[in-house]
Order: sequence, then C-alpha cells, then structure tokens
Amino acid sequence: MKLKAKAKGDLVQVKAMLKHDMLTYDQAKKKGKEANFITHITGKANGKVVFDMSTSQFLSKNPLIKFKFKGAKKGDEFELSWVDLKGNTKSKKVKIK
Amino acid sequence: MERRKFLGFGLAAIAAMPAIVSAKDERKEKPDAWTAKTEKDAIEKLYGTITPVEKGVKVKAPKVASNGGQIPVTVKSDIEAKSVAVFQNVNPEKLVAVFDVPEGQPVDFSFKIKMKKSGTITAIVEGKDGKYYKGAQTLEVALGGCEG
Repeated sequence: MKLKAKAKGDLVQVKAMLKHDMLTYDQAKKKGKEANFITHITGKANGKVVFDMSTSQFLSKNPLIKFKFKGAKKGDEFELSWVDLKGNTKSKKVKIK
Repeated sequence: MERRKFLGFGLAAIAAMPAIVSAKDERKEKPDAWTAKTEKDAIEKLYGTITPVEKGVKVKAPKVASNGGQIPVTVKSDIEAKSVAVFQNVNPEKLVAVFDVPEGQPVDFSFKIKMKKSGTITAIVEGKDGKYYKGAQTLEVALGGCEG
C-alpha cells in the first residue's frame, strides 16, 4: 500500500494506492479463481474514524483513492486499513506531512 | 398495528446505536443492496423509497473513458452529509461504494472504478437534514473493464 497524507489549511489530503486484484465474480469465473475484492476501507486519525468506505468488486484493480478530512494537523498519525472478502486485512500508518 | 411498528422502530434504534461509535460496514448492515440487479432496487434496499433532489452533488468522470477498468470518478458536495452512495447502471450489480461520512467531514472523494460498457454514474448524498440529493454523469466507455 502506498499512502500519503498532507495537511493543507485545516484539511488533510490523503492519497492511497491499495494493492489488490479486485477480482469480480465474472472475472474470477473466467480465470478459474475465486472472486475476492476489498470490502471495507477505514481511515483513522488520532484514533478517530475520519473516513469510512464500504466497497464492491467494481473498484478498479489496485484501487486508487483520494479524499480530504478535517481534525488533524501536521505531525499527527494517520492510519488506513482495508479488509477483503476473504478476511485478509492490511493497514499502514503514516505521519501527516 | 401502529403500536407494533413503533416498538419495532425503537428496537431497531437501540440495535443501531453501537454502530455509530465505530466504523460501519454497510455490506453487513445492508447486504441486499450490494446484490441488487437494478439501480432502483439497490437504492431502495439502501435508503428505502426516496426521491432525491437533483442538486448540490457533483460527479466528475471523463466523457469518454478509453479503459473501462480504470475510470476515475470524483464525487464532491458542500452538503453536510451522513452518507454517500455511488451507483452505475451497467455492471451486473449496481452499487459501487458507500461512504459513511463521519460528523463534519467534507464530501470530496476520488477513486477508480470498473464499468462494463457506456453508462451513467450516479451519486446519492444523504444529508444531515434528512433529505437526499443526487448527481450523475453519463459517459462512454470504449473498452469494457469487467471481463478483464
């Protein structure tokens, strides 16, 4: 996962690239694999949830997401985590720049 | 009958309370919305029967997408939102993503999606005022992105 968080005024801008195949049911059938995709992405700053996204198989492969949030400043910690259909999880912490 | 409804509503409200504190997984809360085969059905399963106002929600996507597997979409709104749901009308299931907007956070999301063919991307914003708002963008997809 690539993750960047940058403070701009009172907002923090987050850019993230998640590594995942995001196999839809149709794609999986063709490839003879099981469908699997990220189902939930959560962003936390200072222990508070600031971003919460429930997702489907229709996000692109290696999905890229960008968003802004309030309530944190330069030097604070930001954590992004995801979980997929099979229950795999991954998270990453960065310092807000 | 009325009384029974009222009781049921109260129970539902109590059950929903702990979910507000932590992150909310809409896939577990409303599983039917994610398997709905039509957009109308998906919206109904998620929000109930609603008539969103067509204003205040901006959906940005390229008019012509050369690669249906990587369509950049931006959803923006100044409305104080509780949640934002994004749909498209061409893939087997219609719901793409649901954002639960934590108290006071802005609506400004960009992400990339897959679309099988040309169609329309719709975003519905559930406002804190209890109203629903809608924005949409129709685009052409040159090469479908779902067959991979």
